[in-house]
Amino acid sequence: MADRMTIHLKIWRQEGPDAPGRFERYTVEDANSHMSFLELLDVLNEQLIREGTDPVEFDHDCREGICGSCGVVIDGIAHGPQRRTSACQLHMRHYADGDTIVVEPWRAKAFPIVRDLVVDRAAMDRIVEAGGYVSVDTGGAPDANAIPVPKVSSDEAFDYAACIGCGACIAACPNSSASLFTGAKIAHLAALPQGHPERARRVVRMVEKMEAEGFGDCSNHAECEAVCPKGISISAIATMRREYMKAAFAGQDV
Amino acid sequence: MILDSKVPAGPLQEKWDNYKNSVALVNPANKRKYTVLVVGTGLAGGSAAASLAELGYNVKSFCIQDSARRAHSIAAQGGINAAKNYPNDGDTVWRLFYDTIKGGDYRAREANVYRLAQISNSIIDQCVAQGVPFAREYGGLLDNRSFGGAQVSRTFYSRGQTGQQLLLGAYQAMARQIDAGKIEMMPRREMLDLVVVDGRARGIITRNLVTGELERHVGDAVLLSTGGYGNVYYLSTNAKNSNVTAAWRCHKRGAHFANPCFTQIHPTCIPVSGDYQSKLTLMSESLRNDGRVWVPKETGDPRPPSEIPEDERDYYLERRYPSFGNLVPRDVASRAAKAVTDQGRGVGETGLAVYLDFRDAINRLGKNVIEERYGNLFEMYERITGEDPYQVPMSIFPAVHYTMGGLWVDYELMSNILGLFVLGEANFSDHGANRLGASALMQGLADGYFVIPYTLGGYLAGMDAGDTDTNTAEFAQAEDESRARIDKLLSVQGDKTVTEFHRELGRLVWDHVGMSRTKEGLQGVLSEIQRLREEFWENVRIPGTPDTFNKNLEFAGRVADFMELAELMALDAIDRDESCGAHFREEYQSPEGEALRNDDDYAYVASWEYTGEVSKPKLHKEELEFENVKLTTRSYK
Amino acid sequence: MGDYGRKVKVIFSSPIGRKVLTGITGLGLTVFVIGHMLGNLTYFSSDPNAYNSYSHTLISLGPLLYIVELGLLAFVIVHIVLGVKIYLGKKAARPVDYAEYKSAGEPSRQSSSSRTMIVTGLILMVFLVFHILSFKYGPGMAEGYVVMVDGEEIRDLKRLMEEKFQHPLYAFGYPAVMLLLAFHLRHGIWSALQSLGAMTPRLTPLIYTLGGVLAALIALGFLVLPLWIFFSGGAS
Repeated sequence: MADRMTIHLKIWRQEGPDAPGRFERYTVEDANSHMSFLELLDVLNEQLIREGTDPVEFDHDCREGICGSCGVVIDGIAHGPQRRTSACQLHMRHYADGDTIVVEPWRAKAFPIVRDLVVDRAAMDRIVEAGGYVSVDTGGAPDANAIPVPKVSSDEAFDYAACIGCGACIAACPNSSASLFTGAKIAHLAALPQGHPERARRVVRMVEKMEAEGFGDCSNHAECEAVCPKGISISAIATMRREYMKAAFAGQDV
Repeated sequence: MILDSKVPAGPLQEKWDNYKNSVALVNPANKRKYTVLVVGTGLAGGSAAASLAELGYNVKSFCIQDSARRAHSIAAQGGINAAKNYPNDGDTVWRLFYDTIKGGDYRAREANVYRLAQISNSIIDQCVAQGVPFAREYGGLLDNRSFGGAQVSRTFYSRGQTGQQLLLGAYQAMARQIDAGKIEMMPRREMLDLVVVDGRARGIITRNLVTGELERHVGDAVLLSTGGYGNVYYLSTNAKNSNVTAAWRCHKRGAHFANPCFTQIHPTCIPVSGDYQSKLTLMSESLRNDGRVWVPKETGDPRPPSEIPEDERDYYLERRYPSFGNLVPRDVASRAAKAVTDQGRGVGETGLAVYLDFRDAINRLGKNVIEERYGNLFEMYERITGEDPYQVPMSIFPAVHYTMGGLWVDYELMSNILGLFVLGEANFSDHGANRLGASALMQGLADGYFVIPYTLGGYLAGMDAGDTDTNTAEFAQAEDESRARIDKLLSVQGDKTVTEFHRELGRLVWDHVGMSRTKEGLQGVLSEIQRLREEFWENVRIPGTPDTFNKNLEFAGRVADFMELAELMALDAIDRDESCGAHFREEYQSPEGEALRNDDDYAYVASWEYTGEVSKPKLHKEELEFENVKLTTRSYK
Repeated sequence: MGDYGRKVKVIFSSPIGRKVLTGITGLGLTVFVIGHMLGNLTYFSSDPNAYNSYSHTLISLGPLLYIVELGLLAFVIVHIVLGVKIYLGKKAARPVDYAEYKSAGEPSRQSSSSRTMIVTGLILMVFLVFHILSFKYGPGMAEGYVVMVDGEEIRDLKRLMEEKFQHPLYAFGYPAVMLLLAFHLRHGIWSALQSLGAMTPRLTPLIYTLGGVLAALIALGFLVLPLWIFFSGGAS
């Protein structure tokens, strides 16, 4: 049975990128244990609209943990306390009646706040644009089975490719580093023969971009792996480093 | 108006080649003079934008999310079909074509579906070359699995995240072109109107969702790849931002809307658990391979499932369809679930669920085997419901999943407005009245990678590039109308929120234009939708201002369009006096409750024209000619 | 060559190069510290002159010692400069901090030790200066710290050390700093290997644990000496 519960919220409100922000406190009386965390915010927003207050803006879309739109820091942890779970899949049954939950946006220089809990994550797209692809034009591809790929390589590639681009790794990193995000794409393509021709150029350009966007350096806290909804391993970062050193010393222009 | 499908001459197998042999080409040096506006970055829009940019066109790409990578194609789980015949089990292009057109209950155009099957193999080649990590065998070659409606294994997959991997492939291809300066990417933009100049689609009006600014964009052609309209039902497996607005505004500018009543209800979704519920989550069709569907024989049986003895359970799919059992197609399984819950035999708190039970499979195969096959799905189920499906049967219920209907297009994917092309789920073209599993991804990518690069060239070759700009009266008018609409929405300041209206609309459409429909119910719902629409414009309450990030305002505009579309869906369902595919009219069923199709009177595409009055659209019929397949009755007994 | 030099510079000013270099210098300094610790432990040798002989042997290396010392100095400077740079970069990358922040737990390696690398590092730096001034440049033979070993007069570093560690400030301050060193190395050893791309998911838990154990052993090896001297009154 769904249990009714009262939940108190302390939410970061900020009208625009340059506006001053502040925490506001709210109470949702008719929450229940079956709700997802985002549905709790929905209920709050309905309440706020009826009261004539601006609702809390937050990004969300698929609500099944795959699009990567949602992402807020819940009680100090990106996506909240459930492991390998994005905020949309976090359910209120993990909370008790009367709990207070603190909600903040992703915080990083490279993620300017758009409004309330919504941030601008375009920097991540720009990192991919710097080289996170295989340069094959449509139409010229050989038969899909022309190049056999060992199952282990393909499985490894998938593990890295599962990244949903939510930005939690960056939000949770004490250094605001984008290394797991960047490393995951590099490691995905490095595991497949299709990614090999461009591997040197790819890693050098993506690493340069990562720095240019204002992300911090990785200090190996591994917090990123702990908050990643897909549990992507920091071995992606180790792979990125190997790829980079190999590429840089083997002649790739840096 | 005569709808010209422009299907090329010649035998079915040669039509696409004949088309390619004769289509006009744009000289490589001239391509850069043309600008193409691509709305949407899902499988269709993303693959189209990347492919066209590679050819040399200037592409402007728009999406409502903050990144092109978040389009809802990302959520597709199962797989993508292709007629590779790698397993050597007898698959051919013909068989893929035949299964698809039969699965659609013979309400799709033969030539389009055949082309889709022909192209399917190139899609797999292209995606592998991009680095999409498809599942592989130990020998290093690609693995296949089976899906509903086919007797061969032709589905390629990446665990339960095939849509994600294919979309990221297209997204990365786009990223490469953005880096090369050939695509200008415009995220967080919502298309609010189509601009038609001298009878040709020449631009769009968008709203910048961060600043609220209205923007004019001009191009030589407009490609609409904005997905389906399943969110008209409020609760669906669609993402929250999925909407019909772009397509609907094109409809109101003259584009025909075809077969709007063909909406697919997926049988295995996690049921609704309360009024606050915002969306429904699909559980892959593959679960029906080992799970048995049942409800108690008694109505209102209060016992937990474990206490209901075998002889008091009704395995209704196995009982009604002994040869296909739990693996009947989606439309059949969904209707059967509705039938038992209508009898009061549904389970769970709401009574709107049936069991999908793995007990026997676990006893037969062991927990390990089941875990290997479905572990991630079981985990996802437990995360959402808090129940362990290894111990307790899953509760499932049908939910709206996909819309076969959409804007009418010809063989070239062009709507009846010159220069407006419609790709992927947004068009009506390939799935008839019911879509088979693993075919949506195939169609989206076929349209974007392999159809539009040819057909768009054929269109552009006949016109001068860049001969208009955003200063025309048409642009000004479209922008003014968009602004007036936003201002009107914000000026109401009534008592009910957008979500309340949307939920109410969803309930009406679900009850009357959902899994099963009656003429009476459909006629009754027309006035209810009209009443709700009137109330919406008098009593909606939207917070905030037009010039900021304002999600409620976005949703309000979309719900307003859904309110109009809903009526068209009902009208279309009333017109179609037959049961076919996902469209089940209770008046047209056999004594055993099976669908009765009427090929003599209804083998047509219902293409609706906006006449200036939402309630009085004009029906045009494109008769479907079947020269290659014999129309038979689908039976799964 | 000029081109290659430029390239090396670019590589090592990249986010990856910075970490690789921090890792290499960190591991190099760890090896030195282990050697230093083992040298210290000669104090407990049955031969009462072992400690002074050991230090004399090092001094006798002459130019070779200078090269090693210069190398160590370079390692220290590079390690510190990069560490500070990474820290400043981190601060710049998040101008507004979270009001509430905590680790999500396993498999995170975030700990009080990983979060305080800059603090422990800077304290170690300050300590290093005092340490070198106290001992290397402390009172030597001219000041009468002389001992006769095998017929040769050499510096009596042992006596200097015993005197210093009679003082509670040294006797307890020194071990305290060594605990901070262990704290630094607990994250540092594993982190350096991860920075060099040497870690795999299977190796990580093992190496992380071994790194912690090694850090503890190093600290232990260092701190027994001052504590022993203080409590035993320096009578060996």
